[in-house]
Order: sequence, then structure tokens, then C-alpha cells
Amino acid sequence: MRWVVPEAEHMAEGTLGCQGCGGALSMRLVLKELGKDTVAVLPACCWSIIDGPWPVHALDIPVLHTAFETAAVVATGVKAAKEIQGKDTTVVAWAGDGGTFDIGLQALSGAAERNEDIVFICYDNEAYMNTGIQRSSSTPTGTWTTTTPDQRPEARPKKDIMGIIAAHRIPYAATATAAYPEDLERKVRAAMAIKGGMRFLHLLSVCPPGWKMEADQAIEVMRRAVRTKVFPLYEIRNGREYTITRWPDDLPLEDYFSLQGRFKTLLEDEAMLELVRGNVEERWQILLDRHQRSHPELAGAE
Amino acid sequence: MSGLEHVDDYPEIPVSLASTSTILKTGAWRSVRPIFANRMAPCSAGCPAGVRIPAYIDDIKEGRLEAAYATVTARNPFPRITGRVCPHMCEDNCNLAITTGEESISIRSIERWLGDAGMDLPDPAADAETGKRIAVVGSGPAGMAAAYYLRRTGHEVTVFDQRPQPGGILRYGIPEYRLPSEVVDEEIARLESMEINFHNNVALGRDFTLDDLEAAYAAVFIATGAGQEKLTGIDGEGLLESGLDFLEAANRGTATLPGPRCAVVGGGNVAMDVARVLRRLGADVSVLYRRTANEMPAIAEEYEHAVADGVHFHWLVLPRTIKKDGAQLRVTVEEMWLGEPDESGRLRPEPTGVTCEMHFDGVFSAIGETADTGVFPPRLRNDDGWLDLGEDGETVDQMVFAGGDLATGPATVIEAIVAGRRAARAIDEQLGFSAVWPAEEPLEVVPPKDINLTYMPHHDRSDDHAAAGATAPASFAEETDTLSEAEILEEIDRCLSCGHCNNCGTCFVFCPDGAIIWDDGPRIDHEFCKGCGICVAECPGHVMVLVNERDVSHA
Repeated sequence: MRWVVPEAEHMAEGTLGCQGCGGALSMRLVLKELGKDTVAVLPACCWSIIDGPWPVHALDIPVLHTAFETAAVVATGVKAAKEIQGKDTTVVAWAGDGGTFDIGLQALSGAAERNEDIVFICYDNEAYMNTGIQRSSSTPTGTWTTTTPDQRPEARPKKDIMGIIAAHRIPYAATATAAYPEDLERKVRAAMAIKGGMRFLHLLSVCPPGWKMEADQAIEVMRRAVRTKVFPLYEIRNGREYTITRWPDDLPLEDYFSLQGRFKTLLEDEAMLELVRGNVEERWQILLDRHQRSHPELAGAE
Repeated sequence: MSGLEHVDDYPEIPVSLASTSTILKTGAWRSVRPIFANRMAPCSAGCPAGVRIPAYIDDIKEGRLEAAYATVTARNPFPRITGRVCPHMCEDNCNLAITTGEESISIRSIERWLGDAGMDLPDPAADAETGKRIAVVGSGPAGMAAAYYLRRTGHEVTVFDQRPQPGGILRYGIPEYRLPSEVVDEEIARLESMEINFHNNVALGRDFTLDDLEAAYAAVFIATGAGQEKLTGIDGEGLLESGLDFLEAANRGTATLPGPRCAVVGGGNVAMDVARVLRRLGADVSVLYRRTANEMPAIAEEYEHAVADGVHFHWLVLPRTIKKDGAQLRVTVEEMWLGEPDESGRLRPEPTGVTCEMHFDGVFSAIGETADTGVFPPRLRNDDGWLDLGEDGETVDQMVFAGGDLATGPATVIEAIVAGRRAARAIDEQLGFSAVWPAEEPLEVVPPKDINLTYMPHHDRSDDHAAAGATAPASFAEETDTLSEAEILEEIDRCLSCGHCNNCGTCFVFCPDGAIIWDDGPRIDHEFCKGCGICVAECPGHVMVLVNERDVSHA
């Protein structure tokens, strides 16, 4: 095999993910590195469904289904119990954007501020997908959802969750996507290597039904999100040191939007497109500036 | 107090212990199904022999040298030879080059490396002796290929040739710097080690007749080549030297220069070979061609090497008369212009009436070669004097076949090999041995739009011929070197493996359902595959295709 990705599987076949589900793929790839000595805590999210109905479930690790707002705090409790048992089990809170950006933010902020010894992973499909594609604070400007219909697409920019997390000065935070599996696996390993503190991974995870697109383009669309700077891949150590891990190229934004029906009106609205372009470029420049200040030795070289 | 004062008082939490795979057969969701399709790479389709190029490239990458060599020799027994002299039609079809403008994979360099690396590998043992005796007349590439495959079937094969050593055009035509005689010797030795018999210095029509062979052998394959230069029609024809004869003398080491200034008339591969050999003997060489570089039939690479060797090219000139002028030859040439396309699609040279004179010490004709069919019985010939042949080289005599340049006029080595293999197959079919040949159903070719350029290579091509002709020609030593194994592996890394699964693992990595099982390679678990199509869209060489479930579930 050409890919440096472990062959071992910890996710069974027969999950209830939709065709081309980025959330299912993200879980499958992340677990390959996390391994069997892991407990996952799932608040309400697509994965509450994907994992299967009682009495079956898809993962070969223990999974706790919990209330929407509690992923980080339940994970904290599980980790405390494991510590009392003298076990070094990895405890993962695995939440969607609703359970991270919106409903789970308080518990997440508390756990991050206390620097709890857990890994919080947000698989972000940019809306409340399994309840019927309602907007979340992760939904980007110009997006169609059922609560931001074509007549009034999402007006606000996507919440800067990585900025919020960085402000807590936790040891490790990173963005990743299953379209770059080796980068993703490396970041999971980096998170595993840091013990005794909070680790946060923000995974862009395609949702073909919610993004209104062909399932077979699932990988391509995530790849284009990275290439167009819509979703840059980077890591932040101790809330301060920024490192860009995959450089975007000059692919135009439209090439990302045009694969997805949820951006149909955006593509027809030049003024809003200009606004979005400005947002993407501004965020990229801020990231680039932080990357360069974190790596003075690389000054002048990209 | 709630009454839940002790841990034991908490209600039991429902726990799922069985795997989703026990009851959720998500394959039932599917309307389309990914399958590994048996498709052909465009390079293989471009190869006259149809060699399965991505398959042997994959074998090399995985270190399976014997398998790689067997894949090639199933269709072309002589990769050491074609790896040096083939114009590589395969590379013109490379999907990577067509879609991106990147340089194609240097397939010939890889083939040559494999040929050299595999020269000591044992050839597949011949099948059990059949007791059939077969005669092959002519030991060039067509005869060698026919002998090779007929021997593999288990026949007793004898190859006759009029020259002192076997090899035909490979030994006596192609110059040493392109194809060293040592390589030809070693390939003949391979055939001898397979117990193929060679009878040299015997000629059809002189030492035996076709009827003699038909009486003594179960089947006969004739591949005596196109060994005569065509007449040029120039007034003073007798003062011209034959390009082919000159190349033979050069290969025997007996060629002499007529003088320091020479001309070659023609624009084909023989013309390029003659010009480049003359340069190596120290002459100042001019090629006189009646059209321009665009219309020349020579392999483009050979033309480029000739230019690099310092050969002068005079375009749009047609020699009309040659006269002796003291020790020199005075050539009167007429200037031409290009008119409408002719039946070959090339622009036709038209006379202008303007002439000029040039002086040379020797002038060589290389305007095209033809076969001497006079030695064959009239029943085998058509009205034009050529042999009257069917698609597989069959003649009016049921057990006599012919092929190679004798049938087609001057063509490439690989086309001669194909003709020899095809005749061997036809002979086996006549003799009742068709079972040893693989069935060949036509396969769909992977079109350029299907490949996934995300996985295109990001490093430059390695080509063993890149440096040829770049320095002043002084020597007849082979002008190119076989690349190193490291260079070959790097070059192989550029190949997207169109239509051939090389176990890259892309489908496995990206399956959101874990429905591609990795067992030293990918296997689709259709019980759970939901038919999202990611594997098909991501597959670099588009080995996989989606088929409608309706069409396969009831099949």
C-alpha cells in the first residue's frame, strides 16, 4: 500500500452513515491511530445514529452516548475514573459542530480551561445534519440550510472555534480532514503523544446530503476546501505556536463551492461572494502571519 | 433525597454488545456497485504487441522480477531489443501526458531495464514435446518471435538464414551504437538454450525450395524481410550505393568511406542510420529529402539524434541525375514545393523546375526497402508481385505462413515480433494446439478523462535516450545506458497504473464504510458497500467502475 495509514480496523461494517459520510470516514481513520485502548463519549450528533441502534454498535471500543451539552465533562469524568483504576486509556469526546460550537461549548471551554487529559474531536459538517440540516454557528457565510433558505442564506461568518480553543492555551490543537489521511493520522499521533492535557482536533467532514452534492465527490470536496484556503490545515501548540501543515494552491474558491448545491445562491450573488472571498483571505492572512511569527527561522521561505 | 444513594441503586444502562455487521446489511441500500473492471491501459492499447505495461511495471515495483519478465515475454520475447530500438508508440498514448502535458512515463527505459535485469532468468519451459517439426525461414525479429512461441508450445523448431549468423536486420541492419551485436548474440543464445535449432548460410531458392520445406515440416513460417533498396529512378542509378548494403558492411566491420563528403537520399530510418554511421566514420554527411522534417517517416528521435550528430539536412530537394566528375559525383537536384496531401496524408512534393548542383564523394540510396519475392512459387504471389497473405500471414498453402517486413514492407521491430507471434498462434491453431494461447477478448481502454490527477507525479521523467547524440559522434559503442534500478523505480512512481490495480490502497483508505477489505490488496465487501462511489472517483488509474445494480443482481 502506498499510504502510511494503519490497516487495522476498529469500526465495523454496517454503520448507519449516509453514502459518502465524512463523519464515518473520519471516525474510521482516527480510530486506526487511537487504537483499542480508547473510550469514546458521544453527545447527540450524527454519530449517535451512525453507531447503530441498540443492541448493536459499530466500534470495537466502549462508547458512551450522553446528553448534547456534556461531551467534554463526561469525558473528563471517564478519564478520572480510568485514572483511579490506574489505566492509561485514551478518552475521546467525539462531537459534531452542534456539540462543539454551540450546545457543547460551555463544557468544552471548562475542560479546556482546566486542561483536562482528554482528546476532544469535533467532526464538523457545518450544520445540524441528522435533524434536518438546520444552521449552526459553524455554518459558513452564504450557505443554504433549511433554516437559512435560498431567500436568506446564512449571513454570519463561521465561528472561529480554533481561535476560541487557542485562547485556552491547551497543549495541542489542529485542523485536519480525511481528504489528507496521512496528515490526519499524524495529527492524531501528535495528540496521543501529549499526555496530561487537553487536545483538540477540528475535522472538516463532508455531508453529501446536507451539502447537496454527489457522494462520490466527498473526498474531492474536502480536498478543495484545503486547496482554496477555506479550511487550512494547521496545528497550534500551547495556544501560540502555529504551523501550517499543508500549503493551499491557487484553486479558485468557486471550484469548492460549485461542487455543492448548498452554495448555489452564493455563486449567483457576486456581492456576497466578494464578502466570502474577503473573509477567507483575511483568515488566511492572519494564520499565515501567526505561522511566520511562530517560525522566524523560515522567514522568507514559504 | 432521591433514593439513589448508592451506586447499586442506579437503573441498569442499556448496553449494545453486538456489531452492526451482524444485522445491518447496508449493501441493500446500494443502487450502483463498484467493481474492479478488466480494462486496458492506453499504453498497452498503443503497443502493437499489446504488452500489459502497467502490470509488469507493478511487478517491478513490488520486486517480482520473474513475473514482470513473464508478463512482457507473453507478448514480446525480446524486451532487451525493443527496449533499445522501439519507437515506443505506447508512450504517445500515455493518459498522464495527454491530460496534463507532463512528459509520458518512459516505458521504453523501464522495458529495457527489465530486459537487461531479466536476461539471466529462465524462460518458461517448453510444453511437452509435440513431435511436430516447424521450419522458420529468416532469423530477424519476426522469425525469432515465431520460433520462440512455437518452441514454447513444444514443437521442434529450425530457423534457416542465408547469412553467417542469425539476427537478420537486428544484427546486419541496425547500427551497433543503437543495438550492440552482443545483445543480439545473447538473445539468440537464449533461443538456443530453449533448443531452437539455427541453420545459417542457407538460402531459400538457392539451397532449398519452399516445396522441400513443406514436404519435410508440419508448417513453415517465412520472414525473410525487405532486404533490397528500391530503385530511385535517378539518372545514374548505378553510381548510387545501397544504404542497406552499407549498413550490413558497417555491422560486419568492413565498411569504407567513399570520401569525406557523402550524401544520403531518403528520409526514413535507414537513411538516418546510414547518415549517422557515415558521421561515425568521419564523413561530412548531407541528407537529401524531397519533403521536409514534418513529413519524414523516420522515428522523430532518430532524426533529432542525427541533427545532434552533425548531419546536415537539405529539405525539398530531389536528385535527378548523378554523373562522375573526376573523383567526385556531381548530383543535379531539383527543388520541390509541397502541394496537396497524398494518400498517406503527407503533403506531396511537386517539382519547381529549378535545379542546382551539389558535389559528393559518395551518394547512398535509402528511399525505402522492398522484398525479393521472386524465390517464392507464383501461387503465393498476387498481381503486384507481393505475397498474397491473410490477416495472420496465411498463404494459399494451408501450412505456409509469412510475415514481418516481407509482408508489410519496412516496419518496426515490434511489428515484426507481432507478426511472428500471430503466425505462431495461427500455426498452433492449424496443428490443434490453440489451447496453449490465452483468449483475447477486446477490452475497453481507460480514457484520459477517467484518471484522477490528484495522484499525478511531482517529479521529472528519467529517460535513457535523453542524452543520445548530444556529443560528437566518434564511436560505435552503445550511445545510451540502461538506467539504474533506483532511477527506474522513481520513474515507475510516476505511473498512475491506468486500468491495472497496483494495490496503492486509495480505495481502502477512503472507504467511509470499511467495506473494502485489505487482504494484501483490496476486496470489495458487497454485503456492506453502500455504493457511494468514492473508491471509483478516487482510484488513480480508474481501475474501478460503477455498474448499475439492476444489471448485475439479476445476471
